[in-house]
Amino acid sequence: MCCNGNLTEKDLQPGSNDGSYLETIRGMRFFDPHVHMSSRTTDDYQAMADAGVVALIEPAFWLGQPRTEVGTFKDYYSSLVGWERFRSSQFGIKHYCTIGLNSREANNEALAEQVMEILPLFVYKEGVVGVGEIGFDDQTAAEEKYYRLQLELAKEAGLPVQIHTPHRDKKKGTTRSMDIALEHGLDPYMVIVDHNNEETVKEVLDRGFWAAFTIYPFTKMGNERMVEIILQYGSERIMVNSAADWGISDPLAVPKTASLMKQRGISDEDIRLATYQNAITAFGQSGQIDEADFTMVRDIDQSQKFSGNTVLRGGQAPRIDKNDIIIK
Amino acid sequence: MFTYPVVQLRALLGKIIPQHISPETWEWLQATGGPGDFNKKFVLLPRKTGKTPINLSAEDGNKIREIRQGFSVEGYTIDRLCRVWLLLQLDETNEAAYIRAIENLFQAAEVNELVTLYGSLPVLAYPEKWTGRCAEGIRSNIGVVLEAIICDNPYPSEYLDEAAWNQLVLKAFFTEKDVNRITGLDARSNKTLADTLSDFAHERWAASRPVPLLQWRCVAGFIDVANFADIEKVVASENPVEQKAGLLACYHSHYPPAKALLSRYPEIKNAIESGNINWHSITEDKNVPVA
Repeated sequence: MCCNGNLTEKDLQPGSNDGSYLETIRGMRFFDPHVHMSSRTTDDYQAMADAGVVALIEPAFWLGQPRTEVGTFKDYYSSLVGWERFRSSQFGIKHYCTIGLNSREANNEALAEQVMEILPLFVYKEGVVGVGEIGFDDQTAAEEKYYRLQLELAKEAGLPVQIHTPHRDKKKGTTRSMDIALEHGLDPYMVIVDHNNEETVKEVLDRGFWAAFTIYPFTKMGNERMVEIILQYGSERIMVNSAADWGISDPLAVPKTASLMKQRGISDEDIRLATYQNAITAFGQSGQIDEADFTMVRDIDQSQKFSGNTVLRGGQAPRIDKNDIIIK
Repeated sequence: MFTYPVVQLRALLGKIIPQHISPETWEWLQATGGPGDFNKKFVLLPRKTGKTPINLSAEDGNKIREIRQGFSVEGYTIDRLCRVWLLLQLDETNEAAYIRAIENLFQAAEVNELVTLYGSLPVLAYPEKWTGRCAEGIRSNIGVVLEAIICDNPYPSEYLDEAAWNQLVLKAFFTEKDVNRITGLDARSNKTLADTLSDFAHERWAASRPVPLLQWRCVAGFIDVANFADIEKVVASENPVEQKAGLLACYHSHYPPAKALLSRYPEIKNAIESGNINWHSITEDKNVPVA
């Protein structure tokens, strides 16, 4: 998440609805390894499916304001492996998640202690592909304490770690996050460092970590800058995500960036690695990702139910996937 | 306990408030009730008082600033002022009970209540006990809440440790608050903050985004061999306002090369020395880029 700096009236006007970029990536499959679907609408799921997103990872994060009770954490984690996973499947997208105590809320130590106690209930569940998103925000002592404890948890569970790097004081925060991960004996190949930019990418790659880039309008990376990164560093250990959430963000950031890469002459193989395969390779180390599931989930039947609930509301006809017929 | 003459503030607010609400409402506000009455009053108060902006005489405004150094109720609406008054009525003799009562208000607060509560930090009892709460508020993503902490609030500069203080200043830049309205900005500037802002400038340049002009105000006292190239870059800017900001930073620096750089722009140097260019004029300049 972030603040939306530098917004002008012009930026807030509806953009062009020209979907022709989709033509350039027709047939490609995408994996968005960081997107907060709980904050998004069903329209987003449909648009993502139509643009070729076949699977995604929803990291546990904060909800825009601090929670005050451990019970709300429990219900949230439980929705990530329950209702949201089901909802996603109803749009033909395989849903994975990472589970963790985010850095902001780690600052409420009394509550953080209780959250740490319930984390083991969730990190071992099927489809949980990592501990995340964890790391630093303000870079306080409390954040460091729970970051370290969760690194140990990830190590014990044999799960990859998804690190959120801070918005403020990013460069030092990124370096410090990696130092601490190494100090705890984690293999950098098991650690995905997220929200990189031009200033952090080199060190992350040089030290053997995965470098994730968030294409998020105005505050993080733009996708033209992303193309430049690929041109300079190639596609090894690099992945692109949207981190779309309740802010002004774009759940189609991954397919759009792939399209732009294609336009700017980046090879299909590099695009495939950065927008699909690398995320699977990195988070697949959890043993929880099976690409065959992506196809299975494509056979959508929206009339299915989850605990008696359905995504369909009174009188709605199910949208069965028949060669991309878009119901609007 | 209170670190300022709270009795005087209670009395002064008690004089201003009745000028804005009906006698019945004032009576209701003052009536003491059973347990739970404080919470109920705090929450439903705007229904009784309305939300019109207060008329504050310059004299009363100054008196308040004298009673509690730097505290201001300028621009308050009447409900906000009444809530502050109500907070000041809370019995503070039992420290734990006092803190619990106010902490409860924070935890259940909606946006206007949060604005009021964070804005009230300078006038609460046991000020050293609210540092964690203040740091938590700086983590908020709600613009008006942040503004209540960041702008015209004397509490943070008096009580926050360096790490939390630096977060406040960085957050002010990230969320585009008026940094000139941070109380104690120059006095609390520090090397760590200056280094972080230098990293931030490089990040913004790499992303082809503008660097906030006022960040050089926080760097000025710490210009050295490591970051002088940044200052030279800013001074070389084609944007005249950015150039002035860079030179203003040189003016406030003790680093000899920065002084030498400033002397190469005698006109601007004169304007700074005569007070025509300062950090406030920089932000008011029409040529200022969106930053």
